[in-house]
Amino acid sequence: MEKIDQIKRQQLIKQLDQIKGNLEFYQMNLPIQKAYLTSKKDQKIERLTFKKDQKLLKHYIRSGKLEGYPATLYQSKIDKINQSYDLKIRALKQRLKRKEKPLADAYQDLESIELKRKHALKKLAEVFEKTSPDRKSSLNIIEKAEEKLHSKVEKIEKSLLIRIEKLDKNTQDKIASLEASYQTHHNTLNTLKETDALENALNKTSILRLEHVSMQFGGLKAVNDLSFDVKEGEIFGLIGPNGAGKTTLFNCITRFYRATEGNIYYRNHYDQVISLNDYQVHRIIHEGIVRTFQNVELIFELSVLDNLLVGAHKNYQTGFFSHMANTKRLRAEEKVQKQKALDILSFLELTPYMHMYPLGLPYGILKKVELARTLMSHPKLIILDEPAAGLNDHETEQLKETIKKIRDTYQTTIFLVEHDMGLVMDICDTVCAISFGKMLAIGTPQEIQQNKLVREAYLGGEADV
Amino acid sequence: MDYQKHMELTPIKRFLGLTKHPYFGFVVIGLFLALGQVLGQFGVIGTSLVRSFGYTSIYMIVGLGFALLLGYAGLASLGTAGFVGLGTYIMGYLAKTHDLPLILVMMVGIIIAILVGLIVGFISLRIEGMYLAIVTLGLSEIFNEVFKNAYSITNGTNGLSIFGVGASREIAYYTAIGLLILMMIVTFNVMKSPTGRAMLAMKNSDSAAQAMGVSILKYRLLAFIFATVYAVIAGVLYINYAKFTIPTTWSLAYSLNILAAVIVGGSSTIFGIFLGTFLIFGLNLGILQQFEFFATNGAYSVIFNGALIIIVIMFYPGGLSKLVLTLSHKIKKAFKKYKEKWLAYKYGED
Repeated sequence: MEKIDQIKRQQLIKQLDQIKGNLEFYQMNLPIQKAYLTSKKDQKIERLTFKKDQKLLKHYIRSGKLEGYPATLYQSKIDKINQSYDLKIRALKQRLKRKEKPLADAYQDLESIELKRKHALKKLAEVFEKTSPDRKSSLNIIEKAEEKLHSKVEKIEKSLLIRIEKLDKNTQDKIASLEASYQTHHNTLNTLKETDALENALNKTSILRLEHVSMQFGGLKAVNDLSFDVKEGEIFGLIGPNGAGKTTLFNCITRFYRATEGNIYYRNHYDQVISLNDYQVHRIIHEGIVRTFQNVELIFELSVLDNLLVGAHKNYQTGFFSHMANTKRLRAEEKVQKQKALDILSFLELTPYMHMYPLGLPYGILKKVELARTLMSHPKLIILDEPAAGLNDHETEQLKETIKKIRDTYQTTIFLVEHDMGLVMDICDTVCAISFGKMLAIGTPQEIQQNKLVREAYLGGEADV
Repeated sequence: MDYQKHMELTPIKRFLGLTKHPYFGFVVIGLFLALGQVLGQFGVIGTSLVRSFGYTSIYMIVGLGFALLLGYAGLASLGTAGFVGLGTYIMGYLAKTHDLPLILVMMVGIIIAILVGLIVGFISLRIEGMYLAIVTLGLSEIFNEVFKNAYSITNGTNGLSIFGVGASREIAYYTAIGLLILMMIVTFNVMKSPTGRAMLAMKNSDSAAQAMGVSILKYRLLAFIFATVYAVIAGVLYINYAKFTIPTTWSLAYSLNILAAVIVGGSSTIFGIFLGTFLIFGLNLGILQQFEFFATNGAYSVIFNGALIIIVIMFYPGGLSKLVLTLSHKIKKAFKKYKEKWLAYKYGED
């Protein structure tokens, strides 16, 4: 019975995930799509106006109504002629400088160039004057053309309005229906919650709980009976000497390893307590847990922006077949995700590196890109494996600010392993010290600093001295 | 309003803007290949050259699937020949006994290919790298032995011929070219899509991919299914065009040639695969076979392939497509530089 409930719950959460993804897509797609349509319309109108001006330029001149855009167009034509003759004069001067030409000849050439320029300008003016300068008919033609353009522009504007309205309505409808189904799903989930045995496994304020977790590799116990809670919204630091089992513990939480004993409970996006032991490694990110790695694990064949889009992999609602056909929906989704990636890149001040490939970028930037990638998936809990490893002092200072900023803007909990005691003591709300897989102490940074066991683990016991 | 922009947008430039559409290149390749058949019909170029075009473009379909498998998912396979051979025998058998139309045969072929791809994909979950290549090689050899010995279906080592069945050679050629264009577009889409990115993530780092929500199982299966479906479709097109298939064609050498084509050309772009297949297969079929020496001593043409692979892997690990790209980049750069120099010489510096 309990097993069936579990499966039902997992499925419900999966469906909710999908609904949430769709909702986010529609909400973000609307402004992007609107901006795109508007810019397209502006371009079209611009092109039409330009075509009309070019066609009616002579009428504009004849009628004496040469102002605004037609005037600039006329001016640019004159400028073009002037420019070409100016260049000729420059070339002549250059030849004089190189002494390829005697001075007398040069004067002659200059004169002929000026003559030609005059001629060309006159010719341009003549085109409009030679034919009968019938001012009235020109005015008429202009008026007609402008009217035509005006009606066309109006039509385009109108169609755009209709399209936007339609888009608006469709999106609103979809959002409303999605929200309704979200509500019903959430309600059923909540009713399941009441009978759920897991619900009491985790305190209301906690997001993660480890309960007697052990990890054994053959004869070696890398993690030995660890239990602690991570509170929601805090920065939790895990410290310990080399080989204490910190990374192993991270791998247990993110299901890269299966803990040999113990339970890991976690509160997900929908306020549901789940046991992470039931989940596969690639499903963890769907629940809102995302991690970085000790050695930067970026995709070196993709640009920084595309690396971020890999982080958004779970946000895509389209399947393989629409990827094959490059459907409209996929293109819209790509736009939405790209916009999100750009926002995150500018948030972390990575915008200049957007189109670069990770190979050859400074290590500090790579670490930041990895951090940016984790933010793409709306994480609830970010697990950082030695974020300051390999950074210099200045970069570490910056990292402190960044981590705090991420926690505050994205409302996440951060769980980190770090060797840099300065960083841990400065930013962590709670610190847990472990050694040889066993818990030494847990508490505020000050408490840990004063703890005797921790000092012994790091500096050696009195007997060693 | 930006007048300068509109004034510069001449009709020629508008057309050049169209050429920047990613599909434009594929259509041009397709039209170029179709032109070969047209010229052949008018007797401008020889029949053997036209045939080499036909075979090579069919092999390019195999290359496309293989590039996705090797270049994107990072899975090595030496079983390509077996899958292509499977396609030829499916078509051969069905066309001969039941006289099914091409489209139906292709459906059956795709279903069988998906099943085979699933099997190989599941195998690939347990083993990787060289070992996977050897397992697929073994699978291919099993297929080959079946082709040789299932006499009632495959006609054994004598080869299966379906002369007089199905479309004429010209129609078959154009069908192959049409499907090639379609496959190029589909492959391009997949490479640029989230699926392509997920596969690249899997190739670069298993753990990062999994942490980002990429299911290794799903994408490995997908990559293998993709490669086998392409191979089987190419096989169907091959027998539709050649009207004959024989087990010796689908040996290890063929798989290695496909591997060579993808590596020499570069697996990351469609253009690279085109370049690679036409170098490895086109050079042999179209040019070397015209000489009597190579026609009688077929093994010697392999030397060219070997030398090409050595050169490319030593000097241009990204493949010839990368070389072409960097070369064109350099030429453009040099051209710009010399133009600036010439302008400074002519008009003086500002």
